[in-house]
Amino acid sequence: MSTNINLLIHTDKETLRQKKRIIFFNLAAAVSLIGVGLIYFGIAILIQIVNPGSLEREHQKLLVEMSKLQSRQKNLFTLNNRIENINKIMKARDTISKKANILFTKVPSKLPLESFEIDNKSVILVGQSNSLSVIGEFLSSLTDMVRKKDTIKSLTLNNLELDTEKNVYNISVRSEF
Amino acid sequence: MEQKVNVDITALIIIFNKNKSYILPVLIMLISLFLFLQFVPPQFNALIKAREEAKATLAKIAKLKENLNILSNINDAELNSQLQTLSLALPLRKDYVGILDTINLTAKKTKVDVGSFSIRIGDISTSESNADFFPMIRFPVPISTDIVGAYRFVDEISQAAVPLSNVYYVNAGKDSASVGLAFYYMPLGSTSDVSPDATVVPVSQKGLKLIDQLIELQKESLQETSLVSVATSSAFK
Repeated sequence: MSTNINLLIHTDKETLRQKKRIIFFNLAAAVSLIGVGLIYFGIAILIQIVNPGSLEREHQKLLVEMSKLQSRQKNLFTLNNRIENINKIMKARDTISKKANILFTKVPSKLPLESFEIDNKSVILVGQSNSLSVIGEFLSSLTDMVRKKDTIKSLTLNNLELDTEKNVYNISVRSEF
Repeated sequence: MEQKVNVDITALIIIFNKNKSYILPVLIMLISLFLFLQFVPPQFNALIKAREEAKATLAKIAKLKENLNILSNINDAELNSQLQTLSLALPLRKDYVGILDTINLTAKKTKVDVGSFSIRIGDISTSESNADFFPMIRFPVPISTDIVGAYRFVDEISQAAVPLSNVYYVNAGKDSASVGLAFYYMPLGSTSDVSPDATVVPVSQKGLKLIDQLIELQKESLQETSLVSVATSSAFK
């Protein structure tokens, strides 16, 4: 019977385990250090690739070229500004002559106008006729226009009188646009 | 039986000797962690910022290239001619000469006599206030004509293109009339605000059509002016 106790075997196993652990830790330390370095320099390389500096130089170069065409750019800006404003004005301005022309067509030939006053908001017509039926025809035309909302939206009879000296009727009407 | 742990220097030395192989790697890992936290996030932020700057600069470059392309294809002479046409229709400042010419020409064309009128000479650089917002010079013009003649005058001047005008009232009687005229103008404002980076917009088709219309109207006006001049000069022979 052998009474020898081989303690070395157990010592070797433990030492091996410990050695493995140490190697692992050393490896982890090395990897972490190298890893951090790689990440840092990797990002630095990406920044270089993106290179906003060279793009900024190209931008400046194009700005210099644009500055040579600056007067042309300003003229074009002025041109577009004029076009825009002319279009706005042409849309916004009242066309009194158009409204007047429409109203003239409603005035019977036997009702000569004494005066015609028109602005952006209203019109006053003063006429004279020796026939009440002509005046009636005139008023009907204007009433129709109001009903159809054609040009005028109201009609007021300011005055209707008989001038006994000239034997004519004087009529004055006012309408609003 | 309780085990007594004797913590003294000897024990600490034994613990140290047992674990000394782990100290260096752990220290290195801690340093790596510190370096990572200290340097990597700022570097990453710098990358994001660089990408954003690059993106913005690329957009500006694209816009500038497009602007250069548009401007390079524009003929200066044509541009100036178009600008002149539009500036006649909508002057940059109060164009008294243009206004007087237009009234005179319209009166001659419609065979009405224009009475004396006055135009208030105000500050050329400021605009008159008005409800319509567009700057304009407004004044009444007396004319010696009947109602029909007054409306012929109003019709004619409403179509005048040089400068752009509007009739804001008419008061016509049997022998005389008063016509309220408004002539537009529009100061440009500072063109030094036009930045090289600003988007360049070419003239639209609608704009070109407007320019052509104004050129036609102005040509007609010029023809009428020359006809009136010939008629006037013939009358004095």
